[in-house]
Amino acid sequence: MSEYLLELNDIEAGYGRAALVLRGLTVKVPAGSVVCLVGPNGAGKSTVLKVASGLLTPRSGSIVVDGVDVTGQGPQAMLASGLAHVLQGHSVFREMTVEENVMLGAFTVRDKAKVAERVAFVQSLFPIVGERWKQLAGLLSGGQQKQVEFARSLMVSPKVVLLDEPSMGLDPKTTATVFDQVVRMRDAGIAVLLVEQNARRALETADVGCVLDLGRVHISGPAPELLADPQLGALYLGGRPSEPASTKNR
Amino acid sequence: MLNASDRLSVSKAFVAKVVVFAACAAALLTFPSWAANPYILSAGVVVLSYAVLSTSWNFVGGFTGYISLGHAAFFGLGAYGTALLITKLDLSSFVAWFLAGVGVALFAIPVGWAALRVRGASFVIVSIALVLIMLLVFQSWSDFTGGSNGLVVPRPFPDMLRPEHHETFFYLFAALLAVTLLCWWLIDRSRFGMGLKAIREDEDKAEALGIPTYSYKLVVYVVSAFFTALGGGMYALWFGDLDPVFQFSILIGSYMVLMALLGGVRQLYGPLLGALIVGTALEYFKLEFGDTQFHLVATGLLLGIVVLFMPDGIIPAGMKLVDRFTPERSSIREMTAAELLERDQSESSERAGRHASTPSDPEPSTTEKAKR
Repeated sequence: MSEYLLELNDIEAGYGRAALVLRGLTVKVPAGSVVCLVGPNGAGKSTVLKVASGLLTPRSGSIVVDGVDVTGQGPQAMLASGLAHVLQGHSVFREMTVEENVMLGAFTVRDKAKVAERVAFVQSLFPIVGERWKQLAGLLSGGQQKQVEFARSLMVSPKVVLLDEPSMGLDPKTTATVFDQVVRMRDAGIAVLLVEQNARRALETADVGCVLDLGRVHISGPAPELLADPQLGALYLGGRPSEPASTKNR
Repeated sequence: MLNASDRLSVSKAFVAKVVVFAACAAALLTFPSWAANPYILSAGVVVLSYAVLSTSWNFVGGFTGYISLGHAAFFGLGAYGTALLITKLDLSSFVAWFLAGVGVALFAIPVGWAALRVRGASFVIVSIALVLIMLLVFQSWSDFTGGSNGLVVPRPFPDMLRPEHHETFFYLFAALLAVTLLCWWLIDRSRFGMGLKAIREDEDKAEALGIPTYSYKLVVYVVSAFFTALGGGMYALWFGDLDPVFQFSILIGSYMVLMALLGGVRQLYGPLLGALIVGTALEYFKLEFGDTQFHLVATGLLLGIVVLFMPDGIIPAGMKLVDRFTPERSSIREMTAAELLERDQSESSERAGRHASTPSDPEPSTTEKAKR
């Protein structure tokens, strides 16, 4: 295992002929840690995840997963190399049961014993998934659906999970649960690259924080240090660092 | 399994299912002996043929959500293929029937390859175009297909009298229906079926999870075409006379869709139930109102009512109705926020205790950070 499970080196990427969104961005995710990307709207946070999961091919730069260069590969190859992407918003299959949703996550895994082992693992990590196993996923609450999505993404035994705004549309208390779950994934040995609008809350969870602005990493460092920096607080975290996190949204 | 007390409720539902299934199957299979006259019996054959076609259509419509209005093309090709193989190549009836089915399945590969690239309304239009092209080809190429003069299909059982002939084909259609249903059921329970249903829900997400969506759609499209063609070929052997205007009509294709939607496309028996209702109604209206177009008006009304009041079909609507009279089950949340808080606190303290006693984390240093 190399030191970094995911390295995005000097990435330049954009959509179509439009201007570049990412201009020489470098992000490294160490093993066993949560790395959080924060920054204003339009800084390119979601684009970073799209590049990492192969949905968007970068114009230049390299993507390295656990020491293996995977630049330019498609989503299925990225999935196979150990990167799972949990999309923004609600992405469960609503008309299918929790079981079917989770099993679809293991679609590329042919070994039945392995699948059974992963099912036991995700059910222990997210008890609600086991409790609601036979119910339609669309009938679960937003926070529960998020857990089903997490469980689905973990079925392929990823090395790194890419989370795009997991707290979107959730109340503050459920958001806290979701971040708790992120920590549990990390403690289970899965590195997490997290993108969040709820910046202060996310940095409280993360080990490393990266502040993005204009397609580059503006500043990065241990998350607690970023949180303590008064200037960063004023610029990117909405100021007033003493305010309780649970009442903040942006 | 039946007397295990913890599975009693499951077993009850299972017994009920078996009883209902046996009763329906018995009613269906004894129909020829209690049908009042040969005309009613022939109407029964028509209804069963609709059930076969609609169930065949449901391989594509039900699993992937792609609405094909052009399945009449496979119906007509199966019918004409059977007839032409018998008359031109002197094959025996049922060999010709099966070969026609295989031929249409092969034909469906390039058609599906092209048509399944588009979704939604575009796919519907492409499927309609297929029927219209087939209609023109079979009308115009008259020295081969008989054109508008029709094509007479040699009877497989020339010695049989009419009622006996109907009865035989009633059972042949029933057997074909059983095989089609079995195949649908097997796919429904398979990994393949799960992938198809994910396509129905959201094709892009399915793709992102590593499902080979395009080849899955193509395979099920070909399976659907195969069974539709077998239904068409069986119809040709039974009816004995083919006309392009009837075999390649948009109406037949629409009936398949209507019946499946009416019964419920996500249910195994949905298209069968829809065929029983719509098919019976169509035959009744034709009998009562003769050559008027009243049956079309009635069909349109029926479709309107279904779409407005039971968009998921009769079977799901019926299950919801039954649900109303059963005790309410757990909702998403049965605890107040205060109770939840209490539970979460006791749970997190429990978990903290567990973590301390069993350090499952591979890197202790990160756990330290988490305690921050």
